[in-house]
Amino acid sequence: MTRPLPSTVVSDLAEIVGHEHVITDPERLLVYESDGLTAYRRPPRAVVLPSSTEEISAVVELLHSNGIEVIPRGAGTGLSGGALTTPEGVIVGTARMNRILKIDVENRLAIAQPGVINARLTEATNPYGLYYAPDPSSQSTCTLGGNVAENSGGPHCLKYGVTARYVTGLTVVLAGGRIVQLGGVGRDPYSTLDLVGLFVGSEGCFGIATEIEIRLLPITEGVRTLLGIFESVESAGRAVTKIMASGLMPAAVEIVDGPTIEAVEASVFAAGYPLEAGAALVIEFDGTEAGLDLDADRAEKCCLEEGAIEVQRATDPEHRVKLWRARKKAFGAMGRIAPDLLVQDATVPRTKLPEVLAGIDDIGNRYGLKIANVFHAGDGNLHPNILFDRQNQNELELVELASKEIMQLCVDAGGTITGEHGVGVDKREYMTLVHGPAELEAMAAAKRVFDPASLFNPGKVLPDVEGEGTTKSEKILAMGE
Amino acid sequence: MRVDLTDSLSSLLPKEAFGFSVPSSLPAALRTDVETIIAPGSVEEVAMLLQWASERGVGVVPIGTGGHTYPRCPSDPFIVLTTSRLNEIQHYEPADLTMTAGAGVLIRDLATEMAIHGQWLPFDPPDVRNRTLGGLVATGLSGPLWAGYGQLRNHVLGATIVCGDGQTLRLGGKVVKNVAGFDILKPMVGSRGELAIITSATVRIFPLPVVDRLLVLEAADISELVPTARAIATAPIMPASVSLRATSNRSRLLVRLHGAQVSVDSDQKSLEKHTSVSFEVRDSPEDQSLMLEERGGGMNTELAVRVWALPSRIDALLDVLKQVPGASLNADVYGGSVRAYLPEQISDIESSLTGLQKDIEELGGTMRALQIPAEVNASAYFTKPLADEGELASGLKRAFDPQSILWGIG
Repeated sequence: MTRPLPSTVVSDLAEIVGHEHVITDPERLLVYESDGLTAYRRPPRAVVLPSSTEEISAVVELLHSNGIEVIPRGAGTGLSGGALTTPEGVIVGTARMNRILKIDVENRLAIAQPGVINARLTEATNPYGLYYAPDPSSQSTCTLGGNVAENSGGPHCLKYGVTARYVTGLTVVLAGGRIVQLGGVGRDPYSTLDLVGLFVGSEGCFGIATEIEIRLLPITEGVRTLLGIFESVESAGRAVTKIMASGLMPAAVEIVDGPTIEAVEASVFAAGYPLEAGAALVIEFDGTEAGLDLDADRAEKCCLEEGAIEVQRATDPEHRVKLWRARKKAFGAMGRIAPDLLVQDATVPRTKLPEVLAGIDDIGNRYGLKIANVFHAGDGNLHPNILFDRQNQNELELVELASKEIMQLCVDAGGTITGEHGVGVDKREYMTLVHGPAELEAMAAAKRVFDPASLFNPGKVLPDVEGEGTTKSEKILAMGE
Repeated sequence: MRVDLTDSLSSLLPKEAFGFSVPSSLPAALRTDVETIIAPGSVEEVAMLLQWASERGVGVVPIGTGGHTYPRCPSDPFIVLTTSRLNEIQHYEPADLTMTAGAGVLIRDLATEMAIHGQWLPFDPPDVRNRTLGGLVATGLSGPLWAGYGQLRNHVLGATIVCGDGQTLRLGGKVVKNVAGFDILKPMVGSRGELAIITSATVRIFPLPVVDRLLVLEAADISELVPTARAIATAPIMPASVSLRATSNRSRLLVRLHGAQVSVDSDQKSLEKHTSVSFEVRDSPEDQSLMLEERGGGMNTELAVRVWALPSRIDALLDVLKQVPGASLNADVYGGSVRAYLPEQISDIESSLTGLQKDIEELGGTMRALQIPAEVNASAYFTKPLADEGELASGLKRAFDPQSILWGIG
C-alpha cells in the first residue's frame, strides 16, 4: 500500500500548481503506475503537473526539502521502467509543459518545453522547410523531454544520429529546485565540459529538463523506400552488411522477421507481406532527388545478391506508408498472438547480426519461447520481442532466463545491453555485463555531482549491490500483484 | 623536475618511455621550460604513472604531438606525458564502419588506412592530419564538416581513459547506438585532459564521398561574401560545410558538396539558383587540399582567438574582427564561430584583446584566446562559463581527478 503524502505537502504543492494539477486519488494514480514496460507497476504517492520551469523548480524544492523522491515523467511511453515510481516517490509529469517557445528559422533552432510531443515539433517546423530528425517509433505520443532523458533513437537515426546530436542547450531543474542553464548555440562550447551531452540520456536521474534547445534540419528533397523480401533473417542481415559496406548511406535500414510478419499480416495492420517470407528489409534513402534512384538501384542489387526473393520500390507516398506499415505497427500487432510482450533492446556490431540472430533463434527454441525480431538493422540495434503470458509463473521465469542469455549473447558479440530504450529499472542487473565496478562507480559519481542526495529517480540505471539475488520475475510479481 | 622524482620515475617505467624530444612550441605554450617528456607505452603504464603522480602531488600535462597545445600554466613540479607510443590501430572492421586506435595514432595514418577501404573520419579542424586521435578527441574539435556529418562528440563511441588517480575506465563500446548507463564519455570528449587521459578511442567512420566538390567564391572583402554564405546556410540544400576565409589581400567563401556525381551536380545548381551566384569549381584533390589547408595557415602565429555567436550574427562577428589590421579570419558559417589569427605586432595586445572581448560579448557572443604570447595572461581572455556550469564541471573534475593533478584547461 502506497503511503499517502502528508496533507501539508499536498496543499503546498497545490499552492504552486493549482489543486487540479495535484493528483492523489488512488484511482487516478493507477494511470501512472507504470510506463510502456507494464511488467513493473507501482502507483506513486502523488502526481504533480507543473506548467513552467519556475513551477517545476518550486515543486522540486518543496519535495526535496521534505526528503521526497522525484520521479520525472513525460508521456510514459518508455520501455525500461524509467518512469516507475519508488515506494516513497512523487511523479512530476511534464504533460502541461507542451509549448514550443521559439522557432528560430534563421539559425535552424527551436526551443521547446519537455512535454511537447516529438512529432509536433516536426509539424510545427515543416512550414519553414525544417524538421526534427530523431523519430522514435512512439513519436506521435512520446515527448521531447522523455527523448532527452532516454537519448532516444528511431529508424532514421542511422543516418541522422540520436537525440544527443540535436540537443544544443538545456534549462534544467536540479536538486533542491536549482534552475541551471547548460550549453546553447552561440556560446563557446569549449569553455566547460559537455554537460548537455552528459545530461542527455541520464534517464531522469540528474534532474528535469524544462526547456530544450533543439537543432533542426532542412526537409530533404526526395525519398526512396524499398522493401526486400528474404527467405531468412540471416540473409536479410547479410544484405544489410553488404549495403552498409558498399559506401551507401541509407537513412533507415530496418528488419522485420518472419514471426513478426505473421503477426502483422494476421492483424488490422496487414501490409500484404508474403506469409512465407523469413524476413522483410525496409530500406530508405533520402536527400537530393537526383541521386536517389542510383542509391536505390545499388541497394536493390545488394539485396538480390544476398538472395532476396523480391525487392519492391514505393511508387508514391501511400505506397511508402504501406511498405513501412509492418515495421511501424509490429508491436501493436503482436498483442494478437500473446497476452504479454517483452520488448528487448540491444546493439551489436552490424557484421555480427547474422550470427546473433541465429543465436537468438536458438535461445527461443531452447526455452520454448516465441521470439519475434523487428529492429534497426543498419546500426545493429536489435529488438528481440519475447511473447509470453505473465500469469504463467513458469513462463515468466523462462522469459527472464532467455532475456539474460540474449543480453549475454549480444555482449559477447561486442555489443551492449541497450541501444535506445535505456536501462531504467529493467536492465539494472545487466549493467554488470558491460561495465566493471570502476565504471559503475564513475557513473554514480557523475550522478552525485548533479543529485548528491539521490532524490531524482533513485533506483534506476545503476545496479543495487544489495539487490543481487532477487530475480526479475520475483520483482515483477511483487510489484504487479 | 627534482632529481629524486626523476629517479623514482626511471624505476617505474621502461627506458623506452624516456628520451622523447620536446616539441619546439611546447615551452611557450606552457610558459616554462620543459626538460622531460614521458611516453608511456601502454594503458597500464599510463595508470602507473598517474598513480605515481597523484601520490606525490606531481602535475601532469597530457599532450599528443605537442604541436597544437593551447596555453596552460602548470605549476611545479609537473611532468609532460605524451601519448606518442600509444600508436597502434587496435581494431578496424571496415564493414562495421568503426575503428579503435591508440590515442597517439596520427590522423594522417588513420586516414591512409581507412582510404584503402574507401572510408574516412570526416572532421577537419585546422591541421587535422598532424593531430593525434587522442588529441582530436580530447579537444573535441570537429571543423566545419560537422555540419554535414555531426560533431565529433557524437561519433566517439568508446574510449579507454585513465583518471587522475590512476584508475582505468573503459567507457562506451564499439557500437553506434549505446545508452547503457550515464554517458560519462561525453564530457571526456573536449575535456582537454582535464578529467582523465584518453589512451584509446573508438570512433564511427564514414564512407568516402564519391565526389568531394569544393565551390569557391572570391571577393576583395569578406563582408561581400557574407550574404551569400548566410543564404547557403538557410538553403534547402545542406552542404557538408560552408566556411569563409579572409586574409589581408583575399577573401573566399568555400562550400563543400559531398555525394554521388549526379546529386552533387544537382546540389550545385540548386545553390547557384538559390544564391544567384556562379561558383568556381575545384574538383581536383590537390587543388582542394591546398585551399582547405590554408584554413590552418595562420596557426603559426602566436596570437589567435576564437569567437562564437548565433550563426545569424556571423556578419557582426566578422565586422568586429576585421577592425584588427592584418587579422586572418576563418569562419564556420553553420557554427557561428570564427578563428582569428592576429598579427603579433599589434601595438598593445592586452588592451586589444580586452576591447575585442568586450565587443564580442556585447553582440551576445563569447571569446577564447587560442594562442597568446608567453608574457600575456592567457586565462584572462576568455568568456567564462556560466557559474552553474563551472560548478558542475568542478564537481566532475573532483570526481575524476581527485588530487587535481591533470593540467587540462589552463
